[in-house]
Amino acid sequence: MFQVNRAYPYIFYLSLAIYLFSLFWGLFLTPEDFVQGNSYRIIYLHVPASFISQSLYLAMAIASAVYLIWKVKLSVYLVRSIAPIGAMTTFIALISGSIWGIPTWGTWWVWDARIVSTLILFIMYLGLISLHDSFNNYEKADKFLSILVLVGSVNIPIIKMSVEWWSTLHQPASITLSEKPAIDLVMLYPLFGSIIGFTGLIACLVILSSKLQIIKREKNKSWVKDYV
Amino acid sequence: MNIIRFEFLKLLKKSRGWLGPILVFTLIMIAYPLTVELTDIELGQSFFSILWIAALLVMMLATEDIFLEDFNDGSLEQYAISQNNLSFVIGSKIFIYWLVIGLPISALGSIFCFGIINQHNFSFQIFPVLLISTYIFLNVFSFGNALSLTKGSILGILVTLPMLLPLLIILGKVVIAINFDLNYSGFLFLLLGILSIIIVIIPMITSYIIRAHLE
Repeated sequence: MFQVNRAYPYIFYLSLAIYLFSLFWGLFLTPEDFVQGNSYRIIYLHVPASFISQSLYLAMAIASAVYLIWKVKLSVYLVRSIAPIGAMTTFIALISGSIWGIPTWGTWWVWDARIVSTLILFIMYLGLISLHDSFNNYEKADKFLSILVLVGSVNIPIIKMSVEWWSTLHQPASITLSEKPAIDLVMLYPLFGSIIGFTGLIACLVILSSKLQIIKREKNKSWVKDYV
Repeated sequence: MNIIRFEFLKLLKKSRGWLGPILVFTLIMIAYPLTVELTDIELGQSFFSILWIAALLVMMLATEDIFLEDFNDGSLEQYAISQNNLSFVIGSKIFIYWLVIGLPISALGSIFCFGIINQHNFSFQIFPVLLISTYIFLNVFSFGNALSLTKGSILGILVTLPMLLPLLIILGKVVIAINFDLNYSGFLFLLLGILSIIIVIIPMITSYIIRAHLE
């Protein structure tokens, strides 16, 4: 915990600087989009939030597997602390997507596979939190939470591939590992910067939340009393 | 085999448990044309969405206390400590529920399909889809009810219902394929694939959860 405490301010300020710089670059220095005009600039919030909302679930699934296989308690603390942050980023992705939808699609909501599956992800995050909080016995709650996270992870490829498997109004991914980006480099660089910065800021939030979770769960241990 | 027979007789004896969901399903299917003033064509268009939602709702109701009574009277504990494989017991239990509730609902759904859409090929095509989807619904809701065994079924539904929404999207695609007279066997195999994974994995996970409840 002391190591994390030491690293945390550096990660936070560096990520904040990267994100603010990328945001400034994206909002004021990049040209208007030929079709969407200025409305496309919301990608500097929407894309990082969507990316993080799915990545956090993946991180939770890995941590849950670690807990169920090796019984590492810290990993389930991590799962519990990620869940509200995942819900928050999914909510940001949904809201920013809706705001973007008004000028581009002419509507703030469509019953489209990508959007509905993201909404499902949001509900799942809330379900995970309520499942864990409904048990007084932490050991039982941790087990059930991990199982549910693992079972629910089947939704992640569905969300990811929804734009490919169904004919949706939502555009397919502009950045893929296998193909040349469909987005111009002038817009791509600040987008990468915003993704890195946002990821760093969320990592800081996860660190803080995990720290709180560890202290809460280990409150009867002597080292916590010494620390607090 | 004894377990299957025993679970079958136990469920049959508890008529509320199997007759209730079937009657609720029938009532929904009868009531829905009365709630809207639609022409036959419009009724046919909205029929399938009502059918899937009614099937989902009824499976949700059917599994409400699938493990609760056994948990309270100690039967699950007996199964867990006996030589029987608990995941096999759970798999059998879900299978019996499907046989007694899922199968009649699938048949009823096909009959209502014929009654409302008036095309026999539609009802023949929808029958296997209903059979598979009700079995998947039962498995997933059983998992949810095992998770919230002592906390009420709402919590179980809340955590498992989102997992079934992608399945509803697939079922919607099946209907489109049937509507446009396209080959829907691909979707049928996809559903069968999902089912074959689920009927192996869900009883295993559920048995793990029940053991955790019993600890």
